[in-house]
Amino acid sequence: MTYFKLFIIGLAISLTGSLYAQTNYEKGMEKAFALWEINAIEASQLFERIASAEPENWLPPYYAAETLILDGFSKLDNKNVLESQLNLAQTFLNDATAISKNNPEIMVMQALLYTVYVASDGMTYGMMYGGKVIALYNQAEKLAPNNPRVVLNKAGWEIGGASYFGQDIQPFCKDLERALELFATFKPESQFAPNWGKERAEELLKDCK
Amino acid sequence: MKLSLLIFFLFTLTSGVSQSIINGKVTDAKNNPVEGANVYLEGTYDGTTTDKNGNFSFKTEEIGTKTLKISFVSYETFTLTNDISELNNLKIKLREDLNALDTVVISAGTFSAGDNSKISVLKPLDIVTTAGAMGDFVGALQTLPGTTTVAEDGRLFVRGGDASETQIFIDGIRVFTPYVPTSSNTPTRGRYSPFLFDGITFSTGGYSAEYGQALSSVLLLNTIDEPDQEKTDIGIMSVGATLGHTELWENSSLSVNGSYINLAPYVSLFPDRNDWIEPFQGGSGEAVFRKKFDSGLLKLYTAFEMSGFELIQEDINFTDGVYNKLNNTNLYFNGSYTGVLADNWSVFGGLSYTYNKSKVVVIADDIKNAENSYHAKFKLKHHFSNRFKLNIGGEYFATNFNEEFKNPVINGISYGFNNNITAAYSEADVFFSKNMALQAGLRLEYSELFKELTLSPRLSLAYKTSDISQISIAYGNFYQNPNNAILKFEQNLSAQKNTHYILNYQLNNDGKIFRAEAYYKNYTDLIKYDTEYADFSSSYNNSGTAYAAGLDLFWRDNKSIKNLDYWISYSFLDSERDYENYPIEATPNFVNTHNLSIVTKYWIENWKSQVGMSYAFASGRSYTNPNLGGFLNQETKSYNNLSLNWAYLISQQKILYFSVNNVLGIKNIDGYQYAKVPDSHGNYASSTLRPAADQFFFVGFFWTISEKGTDNQLNNL
Repeated sequence: MTYFKLFIIGLAISLTGSLYAQTNYEKGMEKAFALWEINAIEASQLFERIASAEPENWLPPYYAAETLILDGFSKLDNKNVLESQLNLAQTFLNDATAISKNNPEIMVMQALLYTVYVASDGMTYGMMYGGKVIALYNQAEKLAPNNPRVVLNKAGWEIGGASYFGQDIQPFCKDLERALELFATFKPESQFAPNWGKERAEELLKDCK
Repeated sequence: MKLSLLIFFLFTLTSGVSQSIINGKVTDAKNNPVEGANVYLEGTYDGTTTDKNGNFSFKTEEIGTKTLKISFVSYETFTLTNDISELNNLKIKLREDLNALDTVVISAGTFSAGDNSKISVLKPLDIVTTAGAMGDFVGALQTLPGTTTVAEDGRLFVRGGDASETQIFIDGIRVFTPYVPTSSNTPTRGRYSPFLFDGITFSTGGYSAEYGQALSSVLLLNTIDEPDQEKTDIGIMSVGATLGHTELWENSSLSVNGSYINLAPYVSLFPDRNDWIEPFQGGSGEAVFRKKFDSGLLKLYTAFEMSGFELIQEDINFTDGVYNKLNNTNLYFNGSYTGVLADNWSVFGGLSYTYNKSKVVVIADDIKNAENSYHAKFKLKHHFSNRFKLNIGGEYFATNFNEEFKNPVINGISYGFNNNITAAYSEADVFFSKNMALQAGLRLEYSELFKELTLSPRLSLAYKTSDISQISIAYGNFYQNPNNAILKFEQNLSAQKNTHYILNYQLNNDGKIFRAEAYYKNYTDLIKYDTEYADFSSSYNNSGTAYAAGLDLFWRDNKSIKNLDYWISYSFLDSERDYENYPIEATPNFVNTHNLSIVTKYWIENWKSQVGMSYAFASGRSYTNPNLGGFLNQETKSYNNLSLNWAYLISQQKILYFSVNNVLGIKNIDGYQYAKVPDSHGNYASSTLRPAADQFFFVGFFWTISEKGTDNQLNNL
């Protein structure tokens, strides 16, 4: 055997090893994101499994919650299923918060979870969670005033409230435009760090015209 | 040498090292396959989701002992730790998660107005947006079945019991003097402002062994644990003004609320049947302080109130009417700590102190009394599993009551008593399955005054008959010492006793709730005396008896018609008693055979308004006509009341509120009063007892100033 061959074999061995060490997480996350397009619940389960293997990383539980929360908006009429699902999402958010404290992205997700409750039954949950939602956005804004998701979701919540009470939504449209500018320059911290929301901002802006 | 082959071999070798297959089948307790359960090896990436037959199979390179985890919504998470080689052909049964929403709940006798409560029939907001309730939490509860309509009184009369048989607790601690004093023809109100509470449980019978000294009912109010934001609330009303403020710190918060009520301007515009010298005037202040610790929460609640009025009321026996003056000072303090200890134990400790001083003048009688009461309570809860929980607790009630009586003939006498009670209880919650639950408790009370020990067993059982319905039964013994009006004259007595039997059916289907509850109550050892009014000259004993039997129905629907929420309550009550000064067993005058209440709330989006209507019907109440033979021999005409309210949201923080009680101006009759002595024809003259005012108008403007203006005072109305 030549050195060259040995080198190749060695490289192959180390590559396989490092490929596994590195790609298990990446592969898992990519698979979960792909699955999300097809089945949110199964995607959440995959994120849950990744979370179990990556106890120091807040992203898997964050996404395990996000999949369930966003899916919740399509189940607003099915109260029992919705509450079970949101309870589960809450445990994932608690896990994420335990790993990463004072994280504005997790605060936004918590506010969205409450928003699902409010959207499902405004009479019951509007009073209960309305104050909490705005308090979370305020807190997130203090920590990350230029995070586009903080700016977007806060504006989204205010627009929802204003249109419910038949008030002018124009003051919040400026915030949406600002969110869009922030999205244009936003750089996620890592490969899988939250980077969503641009399309939502564009969609909401349509109502401003 | 085929390098590529070698590399391929190496790859497969690495990935093929001791690869094992983990497989099995997941079912529920009834062997039905569970589809969609998440199956994985803890701490690894290896796992899958079960298919529609409950089967799962996945490969792993892990070796040695690992933990297999199976999780799925509404089941308890299953874990199995074993060597990888053993983890195949598994048959796994998932246990139902008893915390899930569709678990049976112990509900006999109980109405809950909680936030996430599974048995919630009223939402917190309902308490304050019910037309006719005038922002009074007691008023809103009177639209629920099991209550009777005693319009001139305003307190809670539950299932044939008088008002003193209902006890009120704030954060689990007794309130000794919950009602504001009023003139005899004006309904009273609860002293405490409803927006400080976020959970209200109203039990009309069969309640837990944790609560004692209540023959008929308990009302449990919980103060808000954690306010959301800092804000200032301003209210300007046709009868006074309120001001509130909430301040938040990192781990603590303080809410204060003050109000001043003066009926003088209103009474001068709309004179009522009373001849007011000094119309009702009252000022009150409340404060709640909360502090969060790592594993506990401390709450301190204080309320202070001063009120008074002076008037002359019509009376058949006094041509000039009866002069009445009252001044009341009330202080209530309540402190409690709830905490979590290690190993699934939680602890609660609380203390309340009540100071109530009244000065009453009736014609020439001058009565001053003062009550000092304490309640201390300690309880421990152990959560053995989701299927078995144990509560144990002890408490001490102490009441010291003193009264001074003076009139032109009697030159000042004073009397009083100490009524101290020690109690201990233990109660277990057992869930046999998701469909069947049992709560069994025992309560032991010792009265120092009577040197008497009482033992009360309590039992309730609930069984789920379908996904949306359940039946429950409850049984219990309840003891209560006689109230202050008796004890101040006579202490050589014993506790009064009541036994409840309850059968409940409940259907809860997505925004629609139906409840039916039948009950029978048997009272013994009620206080009797041999004079017209209880006083020093009466002789007292415990020989009184009573029964109450009835059926309560409740229907609520907020789904069928968009933006309309309504509920209907109907109660049938058959009750007779022989107590106090009754010569025979008779239906007391606080009992209506039929009670109907309809409440609707309609949200009009274009008007940014909530319009509410409530209608109450109650069949007549008994009274004694001395011109005919017998006792409580007549019945008044039935009671009808239609009330409307309108809350208009000027903006998210500004609300304009109107309400009218008894819109149709129906002339209701509370009863009749007869002359003590007959006229020359041997006839007893009578007069009709009417409410002070048939109608009542209310206008208020409420403004909330908060950092980010989304909160408002709808809660406050």
